[in-house]
Amino acid sequence: MHSNDAQMLVLTVLADGPLHGYAINTAIQELTGSRLGPGSLYGALSRLEARALIRPAGAEADASPRERHRTMEITDAGRDALRAELEQMNRIARAGLRALGINPA
Amino acid sequence: MNAAALIVGLYPPAVRDRWGPGIRDELDAAGLRSWPDAIIGAVRLWLRPSTWPETSTGQTRRVAAVALFAVTSATMLMLRAVEPSPALTADTRHIATSLWLIPTLLGIALAAPLPPLRWSALRRLTAVAIRALAGPAAALAAMVLLANSGVLKQTSGLTDVLLVSYYWGTLAFGAVAACVLVGRVAGAAVLPSRRRLGTALVLLGTGLASAALQNAMACVKSGSVTPSFAATIALALLAAATITAGQDLRPHRT
Repeated sequence: MHSNDAQMLVLTVLADGPLHGYAINTAIQELTGSRLGPGSLYGALSRLEARALIRPAGAEADASPRERHRTMEITDAGRDALRAELEQMNRIARAGLRALGINPA
Repeated sequence: MNAAALIVGLYPPAVRDRWGPGIRDELDAAGLRSWPDAIIGAVRLWLRPSTWPETSTGQTRRVAAVALFAVTSATMLMLRAVEPSPALTADTRHIATSLWLIPTLLGIALAAPLPPLRWSALRRLTAVAIRALAGPAAALAAMVLLANSGVLKQTSGLTDVLLVSYYWGTLAFGAVAACVLVGRVAGAAVLPSRRRLGTALVLLGTGLASAALQNAMACVKSGSVTPSFAATIALALLAAATITAGQDLRPHRT
């Protein structure tokens, strides 16, 4: 899976509420049918945090950076980025369905 | 130490500190099939230092500086091991074959932590340097004394193996000690900025790419394929990695 896809999946499941790494992957598995590999998942988390699209949740923001399971939450910038990405995908999906002669709902 | 712990150890320290237990849990749950993704993920994160979550102040700069010196040390050991072709000599009579050293040395100079201009910090720096380099310096002195003592004129068999092992062990010990020194002086010296480290990595990568090109041309001319050709591939890979990481560390213009 492409790293940008992994980032979008992480943002999508975090949009529902804060989760820690393993729970994020379980939510992705429920959504897509397969788990992300550890490199894809934690690479995506690192990149998203570096871009300030996600952050440690609530009290964990002040906790030790070596906390065993850090719960992460989506930021406002993350919500904006996810919305823009999903709207673009929606436009592409509608155009593709129209081209195939299928009326998008 | 099991395989999962070894794989977690491949990740940059900041990522390991932050996500290590989670990566370990995923590796334990998914088993062998998750190893390739985890290893590729570690390599990709090393190439993107700007995404490391700093778990202590200056951690990214310290780790990037140590990594630069580790790449330099590995390159020097590799070139020594393969008896480099005349294309890579550092010889004032053959300026063209030494060109790769110019960006390489500039990169090393830019990445070197600067000594502070305070007596207390200088004393601390000197103490750290002595502690880190005393071992390799003693091993090197013993090797020079042994080589010049005359007792090694007629050696064979096991003695030869031991002497060659001692030689390589000393070189490797010195290389590791140099990297340890760069890591330990962070508290007492002024670390280069991210921009400067990025430029240093790009310069080192340019030097390694030039060395790979010069070596490849020499391989083609001579028709020799090994082991110099293997060194060319290794130099090219190291060049690509350092340039990628350097570009990532430099601030991007938007």
